[in-house]
Amino acid sequence: MRRTVLKGLAILFVAFLFGGGALPANSNAADTIKIGFVADVSGIGATFYKSQKAAIDLFVQQTNAAGGVLGKKLEVVVRDAQLKPDIGANMARELILAEKCDFLIGPTSSAVALAVTKVSKEFKKVVYFHTSNTEALTSTDYQPFMFQVVPNTVIEGRGIAQFLSKKPFTKYVYIGPDYAYGHTQHNSFKERMAQLKPDAKILETIWVKVGETNYSPYIPTLMAKDPEMLFTSLWGGGSATFIKQAKPYGFFNKTGITSLYDLDMLRVAGMDMPEGQLGYARAAFYAIDTPQMKEFNQKYFDKFKEWPADWAIMAYDGLIALTDAIKKVNSVDSEKVVTAIGGLKFKSLRGDRFIRAEDHMMNAGIYVGTTTKDPKYKDFLIMKDVVEVPAEQVWFSLDELKKLQAGQK
Amino acid sequence: MSVQFYLFLLINGLSLGMLLFIIASGLTLVFGVLRVINFAHGSLYMIGAFLAYSLSLLMTGGSLFSFFVMLLVVPPLIAVIGFVLEYTLFRRIYRAEHLLQLLLTYALVLILDDLVRLVWGGDPRNVTRPEFLAGSVSFFGMALPTYNVFILCIGPAIALGLWLMLYRTRAGNLMRATVSYPDTLGALGVNVSWVMTSTFMLGCWLAGLGGVLMSSFANIDLAIGMEKIIECFAVVVIGGLGSVGGALLGSLIIGVGITWLPVLLASVGVQEASRWALVFPYAMMAVVLIVRPWGLFGKPER
Amino acid sequence: MMVNARNSEASSGTARWLVGAVVVVALFALPFILSQLGRTGEYWIWVTTEMLIMALFAMSLNLILGYGGMVSFGHAAFFGVGAYTVALLMKKAGAPLVLALALAPVTAAIAAAVIGWFCVRLIGLYFAILTLAFGQLLYMVVFQWYTFTGGDDGIHGIPKPEILTPIAYYLLCLVLFLICFLVMRMIMNSSFGLTIRTIRENMERAKFIGVNVRRFQWYNFILAGAFAGLAGGLLCELNRFAQTEFLHWSKSAEPILASLVGGMYSLVGPAIGSAVLIFLKIIVQQAHPSLVETWAIFLGLILLVVVLFAPGGLVGLYQRLTGKSET
Repeated sequence: MRRTVLKGLAILFVAFLFGGGALPANSNAADTIKIGFVADVSGIGATFYKSQKAAIDLFVQQTNAAGGVLGKKLEVVVRDAQLKPDIGANMARELILAEKCDFLIGPTSSAVALAVTKVSKEFKKVVYFHTSNTEALTSTDYQPFMFQVVPNTVIEGRGIAQFLSKKPFTKYVYIGPDYAYGHTQHNSFKERMAQLKPDAKILETIWVKVGETNYSPYIPTLMAKDPEMLFTSLWGGGSATFIKQAKPYGFFNKTGITSLYDLDMLRVAGMDMPEGQLGYARAAFYAIDTPQMKEFNQKYFDKFKEWPADWAIMAYDGLIALTDAIKKVNSVDSEKVVTAIGGLKFKSLRGDRFIRAEDHMMNAGIYVGTTTKDPKYKDFLIMKDVVEVPAEQVWFSLDELKKLQAGQK
Repeated sequence: MSVQFYLFLLINGLSLGMLLFIIASGLTLVFGVLRVINFAHGSLYMIGAFLAYSLSLLMTGGSLFSFFVMLLVVPPLIAVIGFVLEYTLFRRIYRAEHLLQLLLTYALVLILDDLVRLVWGGDPRNVTRPEFLAGSVSFFGMALPTYNVFILCIGPAIALGLWLMLYRTRAGNLMRATVSYPDTLGALGVNVSWVMTSTFMLGCWLAGLGGVLMSSFANIDLAIGMEKIIECFAVVVIGGLGSVGGALLGSLIIGVGITWLPVLLASVGVQEASRWALVFPYAMMAVVLIVRPWGLFGKPER
Repeated sequence: MMVNARNSEASSGTARWLVGAVVVVALFALPFILSQLGRTGEYWIWVTTEMLIMALFAMSLNLILGYGGMVSFGHAAFFGVGAYTVALLMKKAGAPLVLALALAPVTAAIAAAVIGWFCVRLIGLYFAILTLAFGQLLYMVVFQWYTFTGGDDGIHGIPKPEILTPIAYYLLCLVLFLICFLVMRMIMNSSFGLTIRTIRENMERAKFIGVNVRRFQWYNFILAGAFAGLAGGLLCELNRFAQTEFLHWSKSAEPILASLVGGMYSLVGPAIGSAVLIFLKIIVQQAHPSLVETWAIFLGLILLVVVLFAPGGLVGLYQRLTGKSET
């Protein structure tokens, strides 16, 4: 009896394997453009993925309703890279080879992005990065088949230094996650600040583990330096937790905090967020005053019953650029599309933008402002007096680029 | 740095340690009686935190009442989940090899963590601290968050409660007897599997309690379970697998170590001291295992 | 148990060699068949290459796990050391692939010798936890040492020799895999291997008959580390990057899961297990978009079923079906 059951199970199992294996033989019809999304779906990637996927779905729906691109419908295939570079590389290969995707959309994690860009280079398929913002993608690891529509870490670090250098503070402290993102942002900030305002000093630098949930060991050490301003590379739940925990220490009585105030972070901090803090966003839906942005906000809200986070806006912008390039060369062949990307001018949600020919970086600056309550948004604070620090003022100069790109083998 | 500053950090570190203790004590208790290291303990703690979040949405945020409701409702709920898990799964593997037990709990981590994402979404969540505990008290002129003080008080209360239960009640006697002589106990007519189930539920109750306390302490996201289980591992190994007193000592060592070490290292001129301090739990764990494998409070097994 | 196994081995010896030969021929023919399938086939060549590498990794762990009865949660450390050896030698020192691949098991063995020296002093859970602690320590060192290891960005753009087409690399991995397989088989059937198994079955008795248990376990640990290092080196060259994730404890879990699913008490079990898991992950995600988001639950359920109903894994299941006893 037992043996029969086992045999039945084994047969089912084998049938399942081959049944499943037969499935991917789906044809790549000539009337669709397949776009593979190497996403970080699970774990702490989930919150980013939700907004990215929503915006991508919205774009696909709108475009297909309007007749598609070059008369072809868009189709998005998602794979989970699980925040792991080797899985990301594998999934990118699968999307290109087995799923026959014509283009790729990048993940959330920068480490995964660096793996994906290699696959894109190897198979000559265009990929764009919208959330993973390591500057290596456009400098030391640059390859022409990618473009980046998110302000990179250097733009962020320098941009915030430029913004803060106009303020009266000279006594800074820093806390950040101990990985490449934190270190690059910290160094870019420090260097640019030293140029713009030599008397400003970082009195204490603290590195915490990625995903730290308890900052109370570090808060007194920071306060002991009597700083005027804290600059932090913590993001999302991390910086929100920092604020929640620092508040009762009286940290904000004397000291301000400057951080990435993306919408997800503002949402999770909620009303714990102190007012009047200086900070920046990568793309702030409430502050960007273009007709496209307003229309997008409305449609996004109608469909998903929430406002679009920064990642949603950037993922959407990437698709605008990609489809514009496709239309420009009138082909879905990546090797042709790539010729249109360098120097491409397009109407992004963030206004009229271009992609620099030398490093395929969109001129995406950061949006700096001051936190404030707004009656329109009941559950979270937004920033007021928001201005963009133009990317052109802070991104890698062509000289810097030349050196970094030559550093490749 | 002044002595007051170090004392201030000490208090800080102790409160961090106490939170760790509440969660780790559940892990070590379960190991002591069941001889299973429950990887899923962190996931249960995370579920506790997210349940607290859901409850907080039903009530006025930040009221003392809602906080007490969370404290009263969530840990028993986690204990019930624990009951289901023990009754349907763990029970089957008590006599299996360590590896199979570990893998079963690892499978549960995969399933439970993803279920949390499916139920609550991937966003980090914020539970407002009760107003009564949101402020701070003065300590040598420095502001010490009331919530940290609160945790600092709850930790010893739990430790005392556990001690009283283990050493002063019949249930505790049975638990301790199960650790040493499960077969004899069975022969004496004690329902050993019931003792195991209750111990597991108590462990889960502690995980749930830790989750509730955490939900108001920091923002909660899908990574907190994994973060805490690794820390708890270190704590339990340092203190001695199965020893509640050891878990207390281990928690305090880790808590105070993490807090003091960066400052101490920096004061002797170490560059980027905080980065070195991050290695502390693992290094401590390795050292203890090499020098005294059964932990500071544990007993050698054979 | 042992005697039983020996008997069945002897009676089905010829059949086994025959099956083995057929499988080997099939493995050699596979990429040429796959390459007829166009780009999908090309993808499956990548996948099967990865399967071979991960199978080698799982088999290396099984030397200590299945044969030695030592549960290690830090085996990825040696996998990672091998990967970084190849990455650093090729990228920074410009060494040829052959030299880098030859040195990967050496550096991994050295790392295993150091870590193992401490770990084999402990048994059971304590051994497992100490390997975890060391593995994570090494992980953090690699994660933090930016100037040398590139930190969490890893080392990218490792050179690829021109002649290494996907098929050629598959064949290289296959040949190395088969060599390692035969070497492991030889070792485990030698007196050394029998001693290791004796220690697993009854450590006390092994001690009484004068076996230096620690030394044997240490040698075995080093051996396992060396094979893991080679696997790491091969995966590094396949992906052309080395990454901190390679040393993380979640990477250590992969060969454990593979061994469990495939069956711990045979040499091929872990190899089969890791191939099946990789295959499943891909086809499950292809089967339906919703499964992309729930793969972890799926994997968890598979594990649960195996732990509860088929602790011998696929090989154990097969043996039960065909009526052969487990070795």
